[in-house]
Amino acid sequence: MLAVSDTAIALDDIRLTLGSAAGPVNILRGIDVRIDAGETVGIVGPSGSGKTTMLMVIAGLERPTSGRVFVAGQDLTDLSEDALARFRRDHVGIVFQSFHLIPTMTALENVAVPLELAGRKDAFARAEAALAAVGLGHRLTHYPGQLSGGEQQRTAIARAFAPQPKVLLADEPTGNLDGETGQQVIDLLFAESARAGTTLALITHDPVLANRCSRQVRVGDGRILHDTRAKGAAA
Amino acid sequence: MRQDWSLAFTWARREMRGGLAGFWVFLACLALGVGAIAGVNAVSQAVQEALLRDARALAGGDVIVRASYQPASDEQLAFFRTESVAVSQGLEMRVMAGGKDATQRRLAELKAVDAVYPIAGAFTLENGEPLADAIAQRDGQWGAVAEQDLLDLLGLRLGDPISVGAQTYVLRGVITREPDRATGLASFGPRLLVALPSVEGTGLILPGSLVRYLYRIALPPSKDAVAWAAMLAERFPTAGFTITPASRAAPGLAETVGRLTLFLTLVGLTALLIGGIGIANSVQSYMAGKTGTIAMLKCVGAPSRVIVLTFGLQTAALAALGIGAGLVLGTIAPFVLSAVLESLLPVTLEPGVYPGALGLGAVFGVLTTAAFALWPLLKSRRVTPARLFSDLVAPTGGRPTLAEIAAIASLLALLAAVAVLTAEQRGFALWFVGGIAVAFVLFFAAAHALSAIARRLVQSRLAQWRASLRLALANLCRPGAPTVSVVLSLGFGVTVLVAVAAIEANLGRTLRDELPAKAPTFFFIDIQPGQLDGFRETVASIAGEHDLTARPMLRARIVKINGRPAREEDVPENVRWALRSERGLTFQADPPSEGPIVAGRWWPSDYQGPATISFHAGLAKGFGVGVGDTLTFNILGREVTGAIANLRAIDFRSIRMQFTTIFAPGTLERAPHTILATTRTPPEHASELVRAVSAKFPNVSAVRVKEALDVFDKLIHQISNAIRVIAAVGLAAGVLVLASAVAAGQQARRRDAVILKVLGATRPNVLATYLWEFGVLGVGTVGIAAGIGAAAAYVVVTEVMGMQWSMPWLAILLTVPLAMAITLVAGFASVWQALGQKPGPILRNP
Repeated sequence: MLAVSDTAIALDDIRLTLGSAAGPVNILRGIDVRIDAGETVGIVGPSGSGKTTMLMVIAGLERPTSGRVFVAGQDLTDLSEDALARFRRDHVGIVFQSFHLIPTMTALENVAVPLELAGRKDAFARAEAALAAVGLGHRLTHYPGQLSGGEQQRTAIARAFAPQPKVLLADEPTGNLDGETGQQVIDLLFAESARAGTTLALITHDPVLANRCSRQVRVGDGRILHDTRAKGAAA
Repeated sequence: MRQDWSLAFTWARREMRGGLAGFWVFLACLALGVGAIAGVNAVSQAVQEALLRDARALAGGDVIVRASYQPASDEQLAFFRTESVAVSQGLEMRVMAGGKDATQRRLAELKAVDAVYPIAGAFTLENGEPLADAIAQRDGQWGAVAEQDLLDLLGLRLGDPISVGAQTYVLRGVITREPDRATGLASFGPRLLVALPSVEGTGLILPGSLVRYLYRIALPPSKDAVAWAAMLAERFPTAGFTITPASRAAPGLAETVGRLTLFLTLVGLTALLIGGIGIANSVQSYMAGKTGTIAMLKCVGAPSRVIVLTFGLQTAALAALGIGAGLVLGTIAPFVLSAVLESLLPVTLEPGVYPGALGLGAVFGVLTTAAFALWPLLKSRRVTPARLFSDLVAPTGGRPTLAEIAAIASLLALLAAVAVLTAEQRGFALWFVGGIAVAFVLFFAAAHALSAIARRLVQSRLAQWRASLRLALANLCRPGAPTVSVVLSLGFGVTVLVAVAAIEANLGRTLRDELPAKAPTFFFIDIQPGQLDGFRETVASIAGEHDLTARPMLRARIVKINGRPAREEDVPENVRWALRSERGLTFQADPPSEGPIVAGRWWPSDYQGPATISFHAGLAKGFGVGVGDTLTFNILGREVTGAIANLRAIDFRSIRMQFTTIFAPGTLERAPHTILATTRTPPEHASELVRAVSAKFPNVSAVRVKEALDVFDKLIHQISNAIRVIAAVGLAAGVLVLASAVAAGQQARRRDAVILKVLGATRPNVLATYLWEFGVLGVGTVGIAAGIGAAAAYVVVTEVMGMQWSMPWLAILLTVPLAMAITLVAGFASVWQALGQKPGPILRNP
């Protein structure tokens, strides 16, 4: 049994094959990885190596062809689409490269959505607090179109952390931002996960950022090539 | 300048390479609206042409002379003959026809004709036998032919005996076409047609009986019918003839067709205007998609004018395509609909192509496109090249400048002007156009109110109840929400449907329930004065309360007003009917129970003196006469002048026995007259009463009020259906607009749905959000539309028709789910794709 109490994410021989006109394409070819609660993991690798697919499998957004997925103590393998949605609602926060805020909602409304879905009466109060925590207390009623890129990503981070997820997934969260803004966003991301004890898995092309993580997983051609822990990090 | 045009032309051609994708709503809206207007007018023109072409056949000759109570004199008849190529004599009256069981009698419209009938048009029988043979006397037995309805009512088959008064005929044929049926008396029963010489044997031609003698006259081609008719009227000024040239034989029918055409054209225009919102939406979303291109073009130095021209030319090309499709619909409409119309009309249609009708449709199409596409096109001037450097999330907003508003307003004014100026009844068209404008403003205001209410509710405790409800309410009041589009587009169609249903329900209730409850059960006509006591006894012998009323009646025409000849054209349209033909009048000593006296005084009950009358107040107003003025009547060829002693307010809608003219005693008692009687007989004794009366008094005809009302009810139903068809076109335009509004947001919806799912929304969550959104939108729209529709119906029913209003909940409840279903289906269609959207492609894009 892979899933133990201090394991946040466990992938067990994950394979994912997609059909295409030129024949089946193997995206993931047997991924085995275990991430403990509270770890910060940088997932690196060239474009097309399967990093994003791996992240989406962890989020329950993509179903593997074979293998088993355990996240936050739950086996995702046999969950229905709606059960997966509830699972994400309760346990997983996601931050994307291109923010993916809902353009017709204000910053406050965007952050409140997952809380509202969870049926929390204090959804807006918590959303407001979450935005204040990322330094956007003065931007509550702004629409995404009225926010800068950095502000949009901070809103997205507030949205991801507001429900206090056990696991936070980030897909190149600084890819669309300039260096300085990206740095601020990363600081925020690490600070928030450290404060809440959240397990963080992030995809990045930035070696500096990857080095900041307690662990680096290098993916290539649908497999894990290297899995290294930073010095001093817990095994 | 020329360079601008050629550049715009080239760019427009390049832009068109993308094909028609994204423009199908634009095209369909235009095609539908233009097709409805062109089609209605083309069909109407086909009908009007047929009425004109068949005018001789519809009338039964070139000139028709009618005389009531007594036939034309030999001298008069001789004059008809010397002037014409043929004269066909005949008469018409209402009779009670009996079948094998002689006690079962039904009211029939008897028509007797001579051997030359018909001199215009073709008369046909089901078995193909010539009419003259069928109604001829064979072996001492006269023949008769009848409409199928009479056979059904009396349970007759060909060869059976059919009796009228004292005469028994053999039924020899079923009428399939009677060319001049439409222009005779108002029809209260099926036609029974016999030979003129046979009528004497019925014994029904009694003094004062309501018999109309008809002379159908065919003129030589050299003579003009209208001029000849005028000459005839001058030659026999006191004969009391009603002389009608063929071209005016069916004024009622032509007028009805004209009115219906105008009304349907205006409803078609409404459909086109609803479509205009679809046109605006399509151009708007196309231009939104082109924002990047426009910014880029400006970046490399393209002037705004060239850009507006480019997309303007493209819009014009698309409009030409849509209008062309509409014109094709308009062209084929008369061909497709001719079979349906021929079953309703007394004429055969020979449809053709009607450039006038098509032109009208095209003009409306061009103006509508211009009015609705102008603003989205002009907005492209506001796109700045700087947009290339910021994201394109927020749409190009802003309000139109005064000059732009003026341009759009003048296009709309031009549209209204064309609608009013091309209408025959401009007053009505003006009211209608004004109504549309008011409705547009109301819907616009209501849509914004709905948004405002949603905005309020989002923050209320109600919205906390369900996350999906809060999200849905928020969706309704967001920038770029389709709320206004949906309310405007669906609202109009639903309003028309609710209004038609409500008016029809009120009319129907009045006709079927209220009028029959208050009105008499029967009108008994042609009772001879000597039969009155016997008639009273007969009625009294039947069980039940009958509330019998009986009054002497003669028919007379008003020929002079204050000594001057009374001509129709000299009085307002709403009172012309009173001069057109004879009206019934009576004489009595005591004031009638109904119709209060509003001017003058009633005469003493023992009055004996010069001719004095009591007259209808409404007609007096139209004629410009009052107490002390005189009216001259032609009564059986004699002119009688009476001074108006008082005026009564008469409400004919009660269908009680009421007369426009009542003479004081002392003038008409000696004139041949009959008695008109009404009864309010309990339904269970009605048949018994008819049997008893017709057995004892074969000359007395019983008109069952309910049957007469049923005829009217059926007519109302047919007109309502015509309006419904056009309202459905409006609703179809509304659905298209709704689809376009939904489609415009489709991309965004899918993206939102994926993000919601990532954030933990289950499919039922997403579904519930959209169902709430479209449900609230649907309920809001339908509520607003039902309110405005019911208000419009209320005005029509109480103000125009002067009837009692009752809220037709059932009619509204039947219309509302239809509209709700449309909204929810449209909403559901948009949700369905969003629900199944795979997250990968949307989330991966940078």
